Amino acid sequence: MELLIFYGLGLLALFAAAAMIMVRQPVTSALLLILNMFCLSGLYAMLGAHLIAILQLLVYAGAIMVLVLFVIMLLNLREKKGIVSKHQIALQTAGVAVFGVFMAVIAARLHTSQLPNPKAVTASFGTVGAVGRVLFTDYILPFEIASILLLAAIVGAVILAKSKV
Amino acid sequence: MGNVIMADLARIPELLPSIIEMVAKVVFIFTMNMGVFAPLLGWVERKQSALMQDRIGANRADILGITAFGLLHTLTDAIKLLTKEDFIPRGADKPLHYLAPFIAVVPALIAFAVIPFGGQYVLWGHKTNLVIADLDVGILFVFAVASISTYGSVIAGWASNNNWSLLGGIRVGAQMLSYEVAMGLTLVGVFMVYGSLRMTDIGVAQENFFHWGIFLQPLGFILFITCALAENKRTPFDIPEAEAELVAGYFTEYSGLKFAMFWMAEFLEMVTISGVLVALFFGGWQIPFVTHEGLVKFFGFLGSNFAQVAVMVVHVTVFWVKVLGWIFLLMLIRWTLPRFRYDQVMELGWKIILPLALVNIFITGAVMLMVM
Amino acid sequence: MSGTYRKVDRNVTLTLWERLYLPEVIRGVTITTRHFFVNFLSVTKAYFGGKPSDRKIMTIYYPDEKPVLPEAYRGKPVLVLGSDGRGKCVACGLCEVACPPKCISIVGGMREDGTRRPVTYKLNGAVCIFCGLCEEACPEEAIVMSDRYEGLSEYDRKLMVYDKEALLVPEEKLGKRLDYIRRRMFGKWNY
Repeated sequence: MELLIFYGLGLLALFAAAAMIMVRQPVTSALLLILNMFCLSGLYAMLGAHLIAILQLLVYAGAIMVLVLFVIMLLNLREKKGIVSKHQIALQTAGVAVFGVFMAVIAARLHTSQLPNPKAVTASFGTVGAVGRVLFTDYILPFEIASILLLAAIVGAVILAKSKV
Repeated sequence: MGNVIMADLARIPELLPSIIEMVAKVVFIFTMNMGVFAPLLGWVERKQSALMQDRIGANRADILGITAFGLLHTLTDAIKLLTKEDFIPRGADKPLHYLAPFIAVVPALIAFAVIPFGGQYVLWGHKTNLVIADLDVGILFVFAVASISTYGSVIAGWASNNNWSLLGGIRVGAQMLSYEVAMGLTLVGVFMVYGSLRMTDIGVAQENFFHWGIFLQPLGFILFITCALAENKRTPFDIPEAEAELVAGYFTEYSGLKFAMFWMAEFLEMVTISGVLVALFFGGWQIPFVTHEGLVKFFGFLGSNFAQVAVMVVHVTVFWVKVLGWIFLLMLIRWTLPRFRYDQVMELGWKIILPLALVNIFITGAVMLMVM
Repeated sequence: MSGTYRKVDRNVTLTLWERLYLPEVIRGVTITTRHFFVNFLSVTKAYFGGKPSDRKIMTIYYPDEKPVLPEAYRGKPVLVLGSDGRGKCVACGLCEVACPPKCISIVGGMREDGTRRPVTYKLNGAVCIFCGLCEEACPEEAIVMSDRYEGLSEYDRKLMVYDKEALLVPEEKLGKRLDYIRRRMFGKWNY
């Protein structure tokens, strides 16, 4: 049963991700990304990481994608039917090739290397308390550094926006 | 893989009581929301606003002369909306135009999954917990779902190919974003006090009357109700659908059943907000000064099982009565206050509620450190 | 035009108490709540065995309940039918002259006993402006404004021209209005 759900979610996520790139309309593309995030959230939940799953929904699907949609609507981006120039096609081919090589390397590495043995998940794994405890003890330094980074980003954004007003 | 499914199927008999319990709870909440609140709140809104404004309110629809205090207007509304033309404007994005009302109404329904409408009871040896999904992340689920419901309005605004709708959609996006941040922070104090995000834990912790959220987190309560009103997009904060400016905002181009779905979503959100308010700040299913054991003892003459049933019925009734009271209050606020201006809404969200929420967290932390 | 005028300070400065907003919100909500409960109780009382006047709401359920009209109300003008079965009108034509839109047209005649009566009396309801000047002009209290306000409009203008039979109303039904006229509050007695 779980396996079925996993395959369903995984396929849907892959489909949404692929369609997101293919679709021409920005809004549809954004919506497909949201669908993809839903599936990812479902996969997290199946891994037992409930907090991460709900944060995926809350932060990415709920807040950030609303911002993206907001920007798309403000700029009123519509479907663009331009001709793809030659060097762009070359660029795209190059990009796909590099990505393919990259994936191949990762696959080869995974194939040969020894994966760590999976450990049994404890009952409290992925709960708010467990994640919070780890975050504020073992990973306190990266956590604080990340918050300072975000603060710097916010201040920078405010300064950039202020100069225009 | 077939074996796995067979193994799952084989477990059904032993899980049967749980499955029955689950289905019963889902059906109960669904009927409460869709069968009672969604149609009835339209009537409550009309009649309550009428009485508040010294009017009589809708009362002309009748069957053989029986008007039932205007209740039949619910029926006529349903018939009208069902038979109305389902209009899609030219140039609209058809699939998205179709999808938007569903995105709006479904989150409003499923948000109630984590709100406990009763305590824990042992019925005939089976432990029952009166909440559909007792999630560890609890209230965060409500936030996540509420943020999803934003898409319904935003997409509706986008897909209608109408400037009013688009402006309404943009306003929804801005307002929801601003107030989601603030709403999350207003409740941090509550989590700190009760030490849990699980809503049943919070409910159990409020058995003592003076441990109700309203007494432990008065500032958090006021801030939260303000944010909740803003999330609900009703009058003091109804800039996305401001009639005077945007016709009807993001659902200008909707008619018939799709319009009814937006309407329903608004009412269901109101029920959800009331549920959250009751569960977090007003003791959930608890009766003031009456403990669970006390109530069980009071119904002791019914035998242990039926005493539990009686206690359950009392608790569920108390919960819904509190929810009704809150719906009444939300309606009062909606029909009393005038609409804020757009900049005032933004200012209130970012410059007043957000800092106050942070101050509230700070004070809560300081007090908790001192007490402990 | 010179005179004193009050300068209105539109840039209202709020006190701190008002700018807190919350107390003012509570004040407003209290007022609306009071209205709700007063109206709720009075409507409930009126519904369960009370009088309609128990309602604190001014609205009346119009087709079911009729408003109580004051005596001075001017509805459809009617001719008074005396208790002896004769119309009081003597076809003097004063109402015809007094009528501002000229909606009345009378052809006078004689009865066998020598008293005057209108042979035809036509009042065009589509033209009438319900001013009541005919009533003031009438020396015989023969035409008065009734309290009838329903069913006065038709889909055909011809149907709105009332003849004598359509206008005659027995004296007893107009007692209140006749009493009111006899109080002589009109212009012609005040000159």
